[in-house]
Order: sequence, then C-alpha cells, then structure tokens
Amino acid sequence: MTAKHVFKLWMIRLCGVVTLAATPALDITPAFAHGERSQEPFLRMRTVNWYDTEWVGKSTKVNDVTELKGKFHLSEDWPRAVVKPTRTFINVGSPSSVFVRLSSKVNGTPMFVSGPMEIGRDYEYIVKLKARLPGHHHIHPMFAVKEAGPIAGPGGWMDITGRYEDFTNPIKTLTNETFDSETMGSMTGIAWHFWWIALGIFWVGYFAIRPMYLIRARVLAAYGDEILLDPIDRKVGVAVLVLTLTVVVVGYMAAEAKHPISVPLQAGEAKIKPMPIKPNPLTVDVIHAEYDVPGRALRMVLHATNNGTQPVTIGEFTTAGIRFTNKFGASRVDPNYPAELVASAGLTMDNEAPIQPGQTVDIKVESKDVLWEVQRLVDILHDPDQRFAGLFLSWTDSGERLINPVWAPVLPVFTRMGA
Amino acid sequence: MFRTDEIIKASKLPPEGVAMSRKIDYIYFIPILFVTIVGTFHMHTALLCGDWDFWLDWKDRQWWPIVTPVTLITFCAALQYYNWVNYRQPFGATLCILALGAGKWIAVYTSWWWWSNYPPNFVMPATAIPGALVLDITLLLTRNWTLTAVIGAWMFAALFYPSNWPIFAYSHTPLVVDGALLSWADYMGFMYVRTGTPEYIRMIEVGSLRTFGGHSTMISAFFAAFASSLMYILWWQFGKFFCTSYFYITDDRQRTTKVWDVFAFATLGPQGDKAKISGGKA
Repeated sequence: MTAKHVFKLWMIRLCGVVTLAATPALDITPAFAHGERSQEPFLRMRTVNWYDTEWVGKSTKVNDVTELKGKFHLSEDWPRAVVKPTRTFINVGSPSSVFVRLSSKVNGTPMFVSGPMEIGRDYEYIVKLKARLPGHHHIHPMFAVKEAGPIAGPGGWMDITGRYEDFTNPIKTLTNETFDSETMGSMTGIAWHFWWIALGIFWVGYFAIRPMYLIRARVLAAYGDEILLDPIDRKVGVAVLVLTLTVVVVGYMAAEAKHPISVPLQAGEAKIKPMPIKPNPLTVDVIHAEYDVPGRALRMVLHATNNGTQPVTIGEFTTAGIRFTNKFGASRVDPNYPAELVASAGLTMDNEAPIQPGQTVDIKVESKDVLWEVQRLVDILHDPDQRFAGLFLSWTDSGERLINPVWAPVLPVFTRMGA
Repeated sequence: MFRTDEIIKASKLPPEGVAMSRKIDYIYFIPILFVTIVGTFHMHTALLCGDWDFWLDWKDRQWWPIVTPVTLITFCAALQYYNWVNYRQPFGATLCILALGAGKWIAVYTSWWWWSNYPPNFVMPATAIPGALVLDITLLLTRNWTLTAVIGAWMFAALFYPSNWPIFAYSHTPLVVDGALLSWADYMGFMYVRTGTPEYIRMIEVGSLRTFGGHSTMISAFFAAFASSLMYILWWQFGKFFCTSYFYITDDRQRTTKVWDVFAFATLGPQGDKAKISGGKA
C-alpha cells in the first residue's frame, strides 16, 4: 500500500468520523406525523370522505377518557384499483398505543372485529380512548380495507399530560376477576420463561462444562462414538425428560384449575347497518372539472337543482379531510378542527347567491389553496385514472345541512395560458 | 464422573492443544455460534410465524399451535445434525431455542416495550424449550435421527400448546364489553392500538378445522406433529448439506477423488507435492 493509498483511506475514515460527530449538531426536528400525505390522492379522495371529525378533549390527563368521533361517506367513485370494502375496520392512527381504545362504535354497533360496509353510504363512529402515554400526539381516524390497507383520515393533535407510571386500566371479567391490562399475566409469563430458560441452560451447560467441539470431533473421526456417549449423559437425559414432561403436565393442569372458564379468540364479523339515507332536496353533479397546476386550484362546473322548499347556500367542499370553505361555510367550521387542514377562503363561486327552490343553476366553483400542494393531492395528475371525489356541504335557510357527494374526471391545466 | 479424561486422551492432543480447544469452544460457542443463531433464527421466526408469536390476540387454538412448532423445528433439526453428527452433542435444539428466546426477549424489551410502548404481557413470546429438550433427549437416547423425527418431532409439536397454556390460559378469560363477548386476548388486541395492523389481518380461527366437534386444539396439535416430523426430516437434510465437508484430491495420474473425511485433509495435505487438493466446501 502506497502512502497515497494510506492517505486516502485515512481521509475517508476522517470524513466518516466527522459526519457522525456533526450529526447531533444538525438541526434535526422530530417527525410529527405518520406519512399520511404519502398516501396516493386517489386513495384519500375517492374512498372515504370524512366529515364532522372531532378530537374531543384536546388535552387530557393520563387515565382520563376521551373520544375521537365523526362521520364518513364511502365514495360512489370508489377506485377500480382498490378492493371493495367487504371487510373493513375503523382504526386509530397514532404513534403507538398512546391511548388505550376502550370501545369503538359505528352507527351504534360495537366494532371489535372487522365487517363489510356499503359504498355510497354514510357511517358515524365514536371511539372511546383512555389517555396512556404523555405527549403531543397526532391522531387520525383510519379506515382499513382488507387487501387495500389503512386509509388515513384527517389528523389532529391531542395532548396527554401526567405520568405514565400512574396509568392503570383495571377491567372486570365475566369470572368476576379484575385484570389490569398493563400487568395482567406478565409476571406469570416471565416466571415460566425464567424456569424453562434455566432448565435449557442447565441442559446445554451440562455438556458445555466438558470439551465440546474440537476434541470430540477428533475422537469421533478416529474411534467412532462409543467413547463419546457417556452413560451418565443418558441417565441425566432421562431425568431431564421426566422432569420436563412432569412440569408440562402439572403446569397445564394447574392452569386449567386456575382458569377453568375460557373462550376461544373471537373471530366473527361486525354487522353494521349504514346510516339511513336522508332526503336531500339538492342535487349536485359535476359536469366539468380541471386542476390548474400553477394556480393550485381545482375548478368545477356544478349543475345543481334545488328541489326543496327553502333556499340553499353552498359553503364548503371537502376531500381527503381538507376543507375548502367560503365565508358562509367558514363560519360553520368547528373552531377545534385543525387549522392546517382548512382553507377558510379557499372556495369561490361565480354565483354565491343561494339556490332558490325549484331553481337549476350551473355554478363555476374554484377550490384554491396551497393545501393542494402541501397535502400532496396534486399527485392525482400522475394517476392512471385522473378523477377526484369529495363532498359539497350546503345549508338551507333554516340551518339544515345538506351533504352532496360529487365525483368526476379531472383534466389538468399545466400552463397559466391554458387556464 | 465423566469420561472427560478418556476422551481427551483419545484425542491425542497435547495439553496446549487441549487448552486451546477449550478456548476455541468458548469463543466459538457463545460469541459466534449463539449470536449467529440469535440473528438468523430470530429473523426466520419473525418472517414465518412472527405475528402469532408477537401478539397475545393471535394465539388461537388453530393456527398458533400449527404454525409455530412447524417453523421452530427447522433450525433445531439442522443444528441437531451439526452437533450430533460432528460431535455427538445432544443439545442442538435446546441451544437453538435458547438463542431464539434471547433474541425474542431483546425484541420484547427494546422494540416492543422501550420503542413501541406495548406492555410485556401483550407481546409475551411463547416458549418451545420443553419441546426442544424432549427433541434433544430423544436423539440422545435413540441415537437415531429417524426415530427422533418420528418421536421427538411429534413430541416437540404436541408439547407446544400444553407447555404454553400456563403462560397464556388467563388470556382466554371471557369478558363483555358493550354487550359483546370477547376473550381477554381479543380485548387486549383491541385496546392497544396497532395502526398498521387492523383486526382483519389476524389469521385466527379461520378454516374448517373448528367444525371438528370443538376439538380444534387436539387436531391442530396432531397436524402440527405430523408436519413437524416432515419438516424435521427436510431440515436435517439441509443440515447435512450445509455441514458436510469434503474436498477433491487429484493424484499424479490425474485421477480426481472426492474425499469426505475432512480430517484426512491434514493427512493428505503434506503429500500435496504430488497430489493437488482442490474445491470442496467447508
């Protein structure tokens, strides 16, 4: 090796050491979310349309019970590439089990196991959570579809204060025992593992205290195994065998005696009826849609008819948990909804006037905000199936809210001149 | 008490050689062999029966007692071959399972508790040490790998469920939540949120086995025993393939012979001025 090679080698090593040493000094910020923006837009826009999501009790103490609740509509424009929701599960997207989920109800039915849901229908969920790990946590509702995967809903921050050491979760069983989910069975399990590991170490150690490998290999090669098979090994083997079988049988019988009542794991299917279809006097169809890439805007032409008896005012367009509102809709947004998911002046229309009873109108609507970029929904333009879906929210004069799912192909506009 | 002196004498090693062989035993046995098994066997298990072993709510009557022993007997058989055929040491299976246990408990503490904050009872691993001991002792007593495949491997699988019942019996205690009947294990799986692992991922109690008069566990254990026996034979042969040493020697008449006795290498090697030693696998 020449001096040049030695110099190069040491320079490379030095670079490595400097890199490692400098790492802690860099401006490293922790990751605060779960990569939900990396889910393809068609998954977030055309499967589950979330609305009325609430993170009840944004700050809770350890052991306090809170709720994550809301509603969702399963889009009629369900992508062909995604398996139909024949087996689904409402989940919680959280950084580990920061909350313990005590119960989960969908349309009033407990959902401990998965079940089918219907495309085009609405569901209301309430998840009861008990605060466990202190911290500032980003929590999502999630809709998991078998063979398609979890689809993340909007994420909101929930704070948990206090100390984890104070967390307890006692639950009464049908046998009138009280189990704490944090500790039940731990010591028994560890004790049994400890016992078997000790016996295993004894067995291996019994052979390890004598020459193990090289010497025995030479003897085996030279003379066969008669010398190696020590008669006392067979006696010890029989003793360990009898001990093992005895402990297994006695342990099994003792466990049976201690827990005489048991049930197998429950693996059924949740049967959940969708919410009843509410009469909606407003019909809304998208007759044209385009996405203006430089303008960060989704433009639609709506064909709307009001078949009701009261004027109706459109206030919000929501898709992928992001809410585009006009002034009318902004006043109706829950102030606790994450501000980073609301474009409060993001919805404009060429005709803001209420749609009168019996009136049919074509309205040009623009939902425009940097959120299209930030939330990475622009990637819709790279899909092989360039469509969008979402919900229009409107209100009658008497304050009744109407929800209209919409969906349509979307055409890209790549230049300002083309806009 | 032991035949140690007789064995050392038969090895014809000088005292320095004996001392060195013990050093090699310790260096090889703990840091190399054991750690290698921890890494490889732990990964093998995590890939093939990981969820059944990770989670309390995967330990059902049907799949857990089948998948786990069938997965675990693999390395046990291969290491038994290595230890028995080369050294007549009957602890290959126990060593394997101990190494796996070491890896699992490291994972329980670091990955599941320290990193992911799941309580240890929710991620308590199963034990296969009783089965491994019986497998090793069967080989020791029968000195026959075929009988070990028939008796030991069957016992290995059949003992799995009863030997783990004392650890997990409590988790089948029933409870009612919101009017629904659940086992404690089900509720643990529900309570401790796993974002990327929705309920439908669980592969439990599926298939027609539960139609057999409610004796799913017995039938599962029987099937696991049968499958473990076949798996034992297969992996014993893997052990043979990977642990058999041989080399080729070409004499001065250009005849090439395959020599299986690896110790002959040292004997034939010095004659290499006329013979060419080549190839083979160690």
